[in-house]
Amino acid sequence: MSIHAPEAGWLRAPGGGERLWIGLALAWCVILSLAMPYWHFKGKQNSTGEAYRVTAGEFMERVNRFVAAYQVGEEKGVPIVEPPPGSDAYLQASMWRWHPILKLKEGQTYRIHVSSTDLQHGFGLLPMNMNFQILPGYDHVLTITPTSKGEFSIVCNEFCGIGHHLMTGKILVD
Amino acid sequence: MRENEDKHEHLQDVRQKLQESEDDHHAPGTLVLALVLLVSFAIYYFANWKALADVWHVR
Amino acid sequence: MSTISAGVGATPIPIPVDSRPVKGNHPPGMSRTCDTTGLPVCLTAERFIKLNAVAAVVFLLVGAVAALLLALTRWPAVHLLDTVWYYRILTAHGLNMLIFWIIFMEIGILYFACTSLLGSRLAAKGFVVASFALMLSGALLTNWAVFFTGKADVLLTSYVPLQAHPAFYAGILLFAVGALLGVIAFFTTLYVAKRDRTYEGSVPLVTFGATAAAIIAVVTILHGAIALIPAFTWSLGWTGVPDAGWYRIAWWGLGHQSQQINVTAMVSVWYLLGTLSVGAKPLNQAVCRGAFVLYILFINLASAHHILVDPGVGASWKIWNTSYAMYLAVLASLIHGFTVPASVEVAMRKKGHRKGLFGWLFKAPWKNPGFSAFFLSLLIFGFIGGITGVTLGTQQINIIAHNTLRIPGHFHATVVGGTSLAFMGLCYYVVPLIFRREYPMRWLARLQPYLFGGGILLLSMGMSFAGSYGVPRRHWDVEFSGAQFAAGFDAGAHLMLGILGVGGVIAFLGLLVFILQTVWAVFLGQKIENRPMTPW
Repeated sequence: MSIHAPEAGWLRAPGGGERLWIGLALAWCVILSLAMPYWHFKGKQNSTGEAYRVTAGEFMERVNRFVAAYQVGEEKGVPIVEPPPGSDAYLQASMWRWHPILKLKEGQTYRIHVSSTDLQHGFGLLPMNMNFQILPGYDHVLTITPTSKGEFSIVCNEFCGIGHHLMTGKILVD
Repeated sequence: MRENEDKHEHLQDVRQKLQESEDDHHAPGTLVLALVLLVSFAIYYFANWKALADVWHVR
Repeated sequence: MSTISAGVGATPIPIPVDSRPVKGNHPPGMSRTCDTTGLPVCLTAERFIKLNAVAAVVFLLVGAVAALLLALTRWPAVHLLDTVWYYRILTAHGLNMLIFWIIFMEIGILYFACTSLLGSRLAAKGFVVASFALMLSGALLTNWAVFFTGKADVLLTSYVPLQAHPAFYAGILLFAVGALLGVIAFFTTLYVAKRDRTYEGSVPLVTFGATAAAIIAVVTILHGAIALIPAFTWSLGWTGVPDAGWYRIAWWGLGHQSQQINVTAMVSVWYLLGTLSVGAKPLNQAVCRGAFVLYILFINLASAHHILVDPGVGASWKIWNTSYAMYLAVLASLIHGFTVPASVEVAMRKKGHRKGLFGWLFKAPWKNPGFSAFFLSLLIFGFIGGITGVTLGTQQINIIAHNTLRIPGHFHATVVGGTSLAFMGLCYYVVPLIFRREYPMRWLARLQPYLFGGGILLLSMGMSFAGSYGVPRRHWDVEFSGAQFAAGFDAGAHLMLGILGVGGVIAFLGLLVFILQTVWAVFLGQKIENRPMTPW
């Protein structure tokens, strides 16, 4: 029994169904271990965590320069910015907004730099449901290629204070 | 005659012990349940890869 | 020979008392023999198992009330709490459930495993007393910080640069030190038992599992100190703000490891309940023990799966830590997932229940709440918790899951439907055997595991499906009312949140029934003296 000392000679190999199961489980775990490296090379969705150190002040400056260079409009006071395909875009997360609105082209790749100027935030892109962690002090680069057109919501999904649920933004793709 | 009876009893003992020792490791129902788990696991797992493949490209 | 019955009307199962002569090392008058199992009970251990169990259930009650309020807030049609109280209660819920309830129970389990199962007295009594005092003060202090200062709405994880009142961190640190002292008392007792030769050969399997849990606990507590001490000194103004990314890695060294303690303890309890309820015997001790060793060796790096979509940590590190390291621990769980029910099947077949593939399962003592809680815990943990966990912990799949309700959907299946439900099953034996009191309304006790398990299942499924639409976790309003840019979710997601709500209410009822019955039994239940417990 599990509550008594085991009988002498308990160290022996398993047999029968137990052995079969251990073999199957091990094989499945090997498959699991191969899946991630495989997708890393062959899959189109990966999180490499590319990031650079940055201060809040430095990052805001880059955002402002980016907005000044490529702004094409505005909505509810938030600039709409259209970066050239293949270039760097900037997105700032602060309590409690996403700044600016990015306007991207389907099928084009952009290096989107996301950082926080205060607390931790969560970048949640809907309805695709793509999620990344955004940290103050870190410029998190997401090399993204939109594969669909339309208007997409950004919500914050890392608790950042009382206005957390107000923190929404947009990405436009045409 | 007595010898045969003894042998018969002995054989029955042996058969009972064999049955018991087989029973000690005989868990076919659990094996089936475990296989169901593994299959469900594989289905759920691959369905998620499929769902992932449908979102935007990112690295 | 002493007997434990397996269910009403069933033939009592003889549990052979280990008949080899052993030297008990209890001081005179400081032990008794259990009338049901024949195991020796150290009276010091008994007192502290009782204290830790009572404390556990008190904090479980706080966490349970919090749970109900949260479920009724995330259910959009009800949306009960306001913004401030939602995050405050969420903080309280995480702390009281994941840290206080569960670790008080685990310390009690450790004390049982090193005394009654080894025929030893509980050693290092000073540590045992200090352990309880620190754990209780720490838990009270942190709860005070959360409920009464208004400055600790930082959630369980207290992610820097969110800053809490210093008492928040101090309480958790005190609790952690207290737990460490209890773990040291456990190791000391293992040594004393071996030295005094109170048992021969290897330790019983349940004690082996408890030892694995204790080893992982030491690593966990060290991580807790590394993460929380700098946050604590920062909250006092003595040091600067810790780096946000570093803090997450350090904190999850505490956070994930503590889940592995919960898994290891849960599995040990499964073996214990299998033996107590149907007389199950492990098929192969080497396999079971090997699987426990895998837990110790390979869980330490696996907390990477909380950092999968973080910046600043490379893909290789993420993949290595979540695969090589974690999958061997996953293998261990898959192994226990077979050996535990297999031992039940073999025990049932031995008793004559041999019909077809599943006769043994149908004839199992489902009316015994110790058994039903144990087996439901196994099923929920395996099928829902385990499968979702490994999947969500895959580096790339995490992209469509991180910070959504899929995450709590997963861990409510593992730590609540799994560990907590198993611990409740354990209480259905601890109360009669350690407290020596009968449960009052036995029909209600028999029902409770199904009520709670069913509620948690609905809650978990509601969360998981809502999360797959992208509904965020730890979020007060999924309609984003008042937000500058509208955002929201389909009707399907709302339906799932409703299911979450309903499941939460049912689970709360199951929890309340358990708590009220247990408290009633402990203080007012019929005393059990000089006779075995009434079999379930």
